[in-house]
Amino acid sequence: LAGKPGVSFEEIARAAYDEGRIRLATSLLDHEPRAGKQVPLLLSMKEDTIALDKAIESGDTDLIFHVLLHLRKKLPLASFFRVINSRPVATALVESSARDQDTDLLKDLYYQDDRRLDGSALLISSALVQPSLSQSLDKLKLASKYLSDSRDPPAVFTRSAVDEAQRLLQMQTQFDKDLANARDIPNQSTAGTSLIGLSTNDTIFNLIKLGHQKRAQKVVNEFRVPDKTYTWIRLRALVAARLWV
Amino acid sequence: MAPATPFNASEITEKARRDLLLLLEGIRGKKNLVLEKALAGPLNLLVKFSTLQEYGVDKPFFLENDNVDASQRNVVFLVRGEKANMVMKVADQIKRIRRESEIEHEFSIFWVPRRTIVSDQLLEDAGVLGEASVSEWPLFFVPLADDVLSLELDDAVSDLYLRKDPTSIYLAAKALMLQQRKHGLFPRIMGKGDNGKRLADLLIRMRTEVAAGEPSSNTGPSFLGLAPSTTIDSLIIIDREVDFPTVLLTQLTYEGLIDEVFNISANQTEVDSSVIGGVAPQPGQTGSASTRMKRKIMIDSKDTLYSDLGDANFAIVGSLLNKVARRLQSSTERNSLAAKTTSELRDFVARLPGYQAEQASLKLHTSLAEEIIKNTRTDTFTRCLEVQQNLTSGADPSTQHDLITELIDRGTPLPTILRLLCLESTTNAGIRPKDLDAFKRAIIQAFGPQHLLTLQSLEKMNLLTPRGGATLAGGTGSSVKPGSVTNYTPLRKTLRLWDDEVNEASPNDISYTFSGYAPLSVRIVQSIIHKHSLANTIKPPTPGAPLSSNPLAQGLRMFEDSSKYIRGATFNEVQTGNVSQKALKARQMLSGHGEGGKTVVVFFLGGVTRAEIAALRWVGRKLAESGGEGRGSRVVIAATNVLTGDGLVDGAIEKGVFKA
Repeated sequence: LAGKPGVSFEEIARAAYDEGRIRLATSLLDHEPRAGKQVPLLLSMKEDTIALDKAIESGDTDLIFHVLLHLRKKLPLASFFRVINSRPVATALVESSARDQDTDLLKDLYYQDDRRLDGSALLISSALVQPSLSQSLDKLKLASKYLSDSRDPPAVFTRSAVDEAQRLLQMQTQFDKDLANARDIPNQSTAGTSLIGLSTNDTIFNLIKLGHQKRAQKVVNEFRVPDKTYTWIRLRALVAARLWV
Repeated sequence: MAPATPFNASEITEKARRDLLLLLEGIRGKKNLVLEKALAGPLNLLVKFSTLQEYGVDKPFFLENDNVDASQRNVVFLVRGEKANMVMKVADQIKRIRRESEIEHEFSIFWVPRRTIVSDQLLEDAGVLGEASVSEWPLFFVPLADDVLSLELDDAVSDLYLRKDPTSIYLAAKALMLQQRKHGLFPRIMGKGDNGKRLADLLIRMRTEVAAGEPSSNTGPSFLGLAPSTTIDSLIIIDREVDFPTVLLTQLTYEGLIDEVFNISANQTEVDSSVIGGVAPQPGQTGSASTRMKRKIMIDSKDTLYSDLGDANFAIVGSLLNKVARRLQSSTERNSLAAKTTSELRDFVARLPGYQAEQASLKLHTSLAEEIIKNTRTDTFTRCLEVQQNLTSGADPSTQHDLITELIDRGTPLPTILRLLCLESTTNAGIRPKDLDAFKRAIIQAFGPQHLLTLQSLEKMNLLTPRGGATLAGGTGSSVKPGSVTNYTPLRKTLRLWDDEVNEASPNDISYTFSGYAPLSVRIVQSIIHKHSLANTIKPPTPGAPLSSNPLAQGLRMFEDSSKYIRGATFNEVQTGNVSQKALKARQMLSGHGEGGKTVVVFFLGGVTRAEIAALRWVGRKLAESGGEGRGSRVVIAATNVLTGDGLVDGAIEKGVFKA
């Protein structure tokens, strides 16, 4: 029967399923080329993983999502992860949709999978959306801790960068506090100069522009900014402040 | 029976228009239209707003603005249905209107291009599915020019390579399938790249699916007996991932530079009105000049002047403009002087609107060119170009590090820096781990700690990787490992990717589009359809030898030789349908189509740059001239979207910042 066009294996399989012969129905469905018909039936037959595989084969992301949503509701989280883990397309789709909506799910996924870098990235991006700085810092601390057992070079690099980010934010807060009391310096044309959130270089830039050479130097030393970089920043900042030295 | 030319742009436009207007007609009375921002551009290309008004559209709203008012009873949503958060937004707005409005509303949703099961589920969960009438608007290809079709999926790149979401592959397959239905199977599907392979597989799979569905629903012409097309020669699929450097380089054609500097979307660009201040509103030139500071300009090949300029290297745009100006001046002057008899005068007056339009367009492009020159003369621009040219011509990448560091120190915008670093990484199979860490530190210090995420994303996209992690394709290894990267060192020679004596004024090779670098992606296409000439460019023939005698040009040798150095799967499928070869030949004879005059479709999965389009047009012109050499003669470019380097890295850049 296979190879003959126009035979709807879906109908035959459905009949077999209605008769209670599930095994037969599944093997019959293998011959059905239209995934759009195959997948829903497989789902109703509770052949979930086969349904997922068929959906992935079809390339139709809508069908894949459909099966995934179904599985997510039905299975306990751990076994849901086990199902999708062996299938990269499914994992990717779960990840990308969860990124917008359900970060807790992602956290669990990365944890079970031991994907520390991705997990820490998640914490960093949640640090970026925190409403207050102290909460952001907490998230960064978590991210750093999350990476602390790992000895991989990328993890080590990320960790040091996260730690540096925390130090920078703390310094910026300190400067903001200091400078609020010392507003009587000349050349402070820019109003509302909060330093928080700026990059290292921009912090130095703004400090020089406002005439706080010492504080700028402190940032340079703290973060080991290369001499060349510092010279360029200084030059640009002094020009911006119209201090022709 | 004379079959219509395949991939006919006006036919596609017409169909999309009709479909939409039919849907609008289905809703009685006036209506408010709510559309997704990303759809506004394509919609503008297909239908005039005045036409929409004739069909009862009262006011347009953007979905993202969340400000639909209750002025009309009917509310129509026009949204892409593939993304869950878009669906949620629709649901939210329906709920909001229902809560706030006094009158009962009728909601309709047109999903583009199709209604999805997931969107239904989401709407149902939100409890609004019942009160919306749902239909689909099958919009796939949007014609940008006669030979350029785009799906206009703006986030196709980040979807495909960062999130590994294959939706755009599926949509591309659907879109190509529609064309196959009309004009017959692609006799041959060739291409390069893993996602490209997936697309080819999908196309073949869909064919069997359609065949299976056929007899049960006996509507439409039979698809089973569908034979290979007699008007299409082949489909060539290029996966973007095969050739990232081309996107990362600064494009040097006029159109490419407009895209780099001002950003073109859906054939429109926004230019500060001071730039083109003197230009009075002209028909066809300015769109609705509603914005205060910015002005919208149509950029398309219908403008005769622009069709000459767009694909030219920017270096000669000045002289081209000059020439047009001179011709325009002399033709108006001479005519007015020589117009002695009344009939001559009448003739001249009849042509006057043409001259005026040309003059306006000349004025516009002169000011645009001036603005671009301001950009290309800056120190940063020339330095970036220097780094780019050194890297592509094969100089030792470590010699460029000082320059890049200096650019970072001088506060060059992040996308520009990232493009340079990614260019180094992709052309040299990664950056030495020590150097890479130094660059990463420099970027984080210069642009902020949030870009830790940016760097991670770039690594996921395989754009910025440590060396050693990425293995080169081809070479000594007998089998190409999956996930290996394109090896540019041998390719530079075998495909002559770098050309020192490039001629920008009258180009003799596609390398003119980047002033020296020939885009690898287009070279691959050339090695298939234009192989004799390509072989001769690479290895100049002995004088007197016939054009086709070059040993490099035998069969698909060049394509196969070079493709082993390029990352991803190589594929070459022949579709014969259910018709035997003999019948096929007979059918070809009957329809009177010989070898010539066929269409070659080049599909870019993951975006195409305007410089590549220019290069492909050049190849197409040469094909038409040489006639019959290689295969096919009309080149149609299709893509998921049109892309620039900034767009490529932008998908990775983290937008959030730490705030107090």
